[in-house]
Amino acid sequence: MTKATRPILLGIALSCLAAISTAQAKDQLILAIGGEPEQGFDPLLGWGQYGNPLFQSTLLSRDQDFTPQPELATKWSLSEDRLTWTLTLRGDARFADGTPVTANDVAYTFNTAAKAGGRADLSALAEATAIDEQTVTLRLHAPRITFIDQLLTLGIVPHAERENGYSEQYGRHPLGSGPYQLVEWQEGEQLIVERNPYFYGPTPDFERLVFLFTGEDATLSAANAGQVDIAAIPPALAANVPTSMQRVIMESVDNRGILFPMQPANGEHAASGAPIGNDVTADPAIRQAINLAVDRDTLVEVALHGFGRPAFGPADGLPWSSDEERIDAPNLAQAKGILDAAGWELHDDGLRYKEDLPARFRLTYPSSDTTRQLLAEVSAEMVRPLGIEMQPTGRHWDDIQRHALHQDAILFGFGSHSPQEVYYLFHSQHAGNGYYNSGFYINSAVDAHLDAAQAAPSSEQANRHWQAAQWDGTTGYGLRGDTSWAWLVNLEHVYFADTCLDVGELGVAPHGHGWPITANLLEWRWVCD
Amino acid sequence: MPRIAMRLGRLALVLLCVALVSFGLMMLSPIDQVDAYLGPQVAQVSPEQRALIAERWGFDAPPAVQFGHWLRQLASGGLGWSHVYNQPVSEVIGQRFQRSIVLLAGAWLVSALLGFALGVMAGAKEGSPLDKMISTYAYLTASTPAFWLAMLAVLLFSVTLGWAPTCCAGPAGMLDQDVTLATRLHHLVLPVATLALLGIANITLHTRTRMLALMRSDIAIHAFAQGAGRFDVAWRHGLRHASLPAVTLAFASLGELFGGSILIEQVFAYPGLGQATVAAGLRSDIPLLLGIALFTALFVSIGNLVADTLYGVIDPRLTTGGS
Repeated sequence: MTKATRPILLGIALSCLAAISTAQAKDQLILAIGGEPEQGFDPLLGWGQYGNPLFQSTLLSRDQDFTPQPELATKWSLSEDRLTWTLTLRGDARFADGTPVTANDVAYTFNTAAKAGGRADLSALAEATAIDEQTVTLRLHAPRITFIDQLLTLGIVPHAERENGYSEQYGRHPLGSGPYQLVEWQEGEQLIVERNPYFYGPTPDFERLVFLFTGEDATLSAANAGQVDIAAIPPALAANVPTSMQRVIMESVDNRGILFPMQPANGEHAASGAPIGNDVTADPAIRQAINLAVDRDTLVEVALHGFGRPAFGPADGLPWSSDEERIDAPNLAQAKGILDAAGWELHDDGLRYKEDLPARFRLTYPSSDTTRQLLAEVSAEMVRPLGIEMQPTGRHWDDIQRHALHQDAILFGFGSHSPQEVYYLFHSQHAGNGYYNSGFYINSAVDAHLDAAQAAPSSEQANRHWQAAQWDGTTGYGLRGDTSWAWLVNLEHVYFADTCLDVGELGVAPHGHGWPITANLLEWRWVCD
Repeated sequence: MPRIAMRLGRLALVLLCVALVSFGLMMLSPIDQVDAYLGPQVAQVSPEQRALIAERWGFDAPPAVQFGHWLRQLASGGLGWSHVYNQPVSEVIGQRFQRSIVLLAGAWLVSALLGFALGVMAGAKEGSPLDKMISTYAYLTASTPAFWLAMLAVLLFSVTLGWAPTCCAGPAGMLDQDVTLATRLHHLVLPVATLALLGIANITLHTRTRMLALMRSDIAIHAFAQGAGRFDVAWRHGLRHASLPAVTLAFASLGELFGGSILIEQVFAYPGLGQATVAAGLRSDIPLLLGIALFTALFVSIGNLVADTLYGVIDPRLTTGGS
């Protein structure tokens, strides 16, 4: 008996010792922020679209204001016809095996990703060509300024024809020119990475990073047991912070809002068979009144446990959205005035009617999402005093697509680091195209602004056109224009971080909690001895 | 020999039925394969890219064609390609099963041996305080959901007391090759114990009932009359008698054990086949799910086969009657 227990006890003691020594030295940072890419770390299939690609480097990077900054490329320009990007690469970038990164690798990465059929969307690319060792051109099918997203997110992989080049196994054996290189990936469990000695940028503060891929419960347990340095925490569980940790809040454009069907019901059906249109929500007075009546601060408190901020547009705080779109406080009197003026009369049953049409419609939410259910039910109560009845209805996504998508108001969540999302949501070209513009919003002035943005010479100049689509002084998709949505809240992503960990200035996260916090990983510091 | 051939034929038929039913269920599932593939990026890609994704991973083919394709692959010895893991299904199952088998085998052995021992003890001393304790314990655990017990175990032993790790098959930041056997066991103790605890109750209660019957039988009375004690009778006459239900249950519960391990693996973040099953189901990875279903069915069938063979060894009357 003693013979058997001795090695076990020894092992326990040793592992405790190991845990203590790592906590003191701090070459190693342990993160439990989810985000395991089951397909592996292959940028051509979509790895690195959010947050830091870790192993690979991208051509450009974003700063806090979303202005493109040099990364692998030191110079870049877009041709007069907006069809060709020309980029000059830096000379000192090397893959983790010591070989230089050339224009050949960049061209290969873009051309292969365009055909890969993964999550990286390069459908706009016609062809990438290496002009010489350090110059590459990317030719597009049509002007599309949002193609710059791929320069910002697509990690460069080594050409298949070189030694250690790209192959089918690349996802499990990634080789790139990023700040870290893979040591071991224990699938479903953890990822261990170490500094890439050939990285051209500043040396990261941490020699070694360990990413634990635990579920919500296990992550919380590990945080409480003091076994992780930073952990992603669901807002509902974020009240009790473990000792020696602090709450870190990352703002986001991970938003939730109500999409309104914009067309009256006229018996038409979409390709999926779902009926199109809703006579009540097609009336702008109803949409404006709802926007004025909902109390967004209360929604944040009730549905998000206080971890959020009011939302007034699809991309609050990002450069392609206007800061002037906001409603400071709910105003029921003004909302009632709008409804009265539009001919919605209050009847004895507490409901408003326009001729025989009652102000009643379904507010559909995906039934698996309790946050959206709360938002739907609470906002329905908030508009009831107006005489408008929103009926919260939970359905499965599939059911929503086949029945509700184009005729019910839908509680959606969007939020992206790219204005391409604005294009999808509000351009008439995408009306009825899956989840995009599912309310059939059609405004030719807005279409013109969105197209002008895509044809702009730079993303900075495009931003003015994106903003004009929201409100150009006479019309727009936003609150002051057609009021096509009632945006409700932007989520805040909550993390527990060791009090010794300084995560610097966090940016604004897109839809999706977890990995995006690594965007500024290279600025993280350990501030204790 | 013809008996073995018939057995094998029946097994093949069972496996085919399992594949057909699983595939049918997947087709009825409301999950859109492209949406499931994209996950959180569902609203980030163009319609052209969606078409490309469907083409690359074969989502655009009609169900019958997809199933036919899979059957052809199976006939040539392959289980297909998992789009969730971008890896051959056989590799996914192989890697994950290595982890699961340790957990399953550990829990199975503990529950069978401990359950049987407790059942024999309780049955031999009917009505004694020992019997009451064991029975109460068995009834309690038989009615406890596995995942709930697992969560309590983590809270108590990992978070409050700090005796066991909160997750995973090894310590954070340690390379696979550096993990010692002792550390591996340390990480296994809690999941194995929770998983075993539930199997124990069933076996204990059945063994106990069988033991009670024996203790009241003529054989036992005869032995008592010759001066034998209760444990003496249990040991000499009862063990073999009571082991039949235990063997049946232990092997028949392989399926249940497998189901339980899915929940346990979720709670303990233990990277076994359970996690892969959940991912395959939620993300509509048809080849992977079919592969796992087949594998599990095979596993359980073999278990039953072993049980059938063991009956003959334990009670020779069963073989003579059969042939």
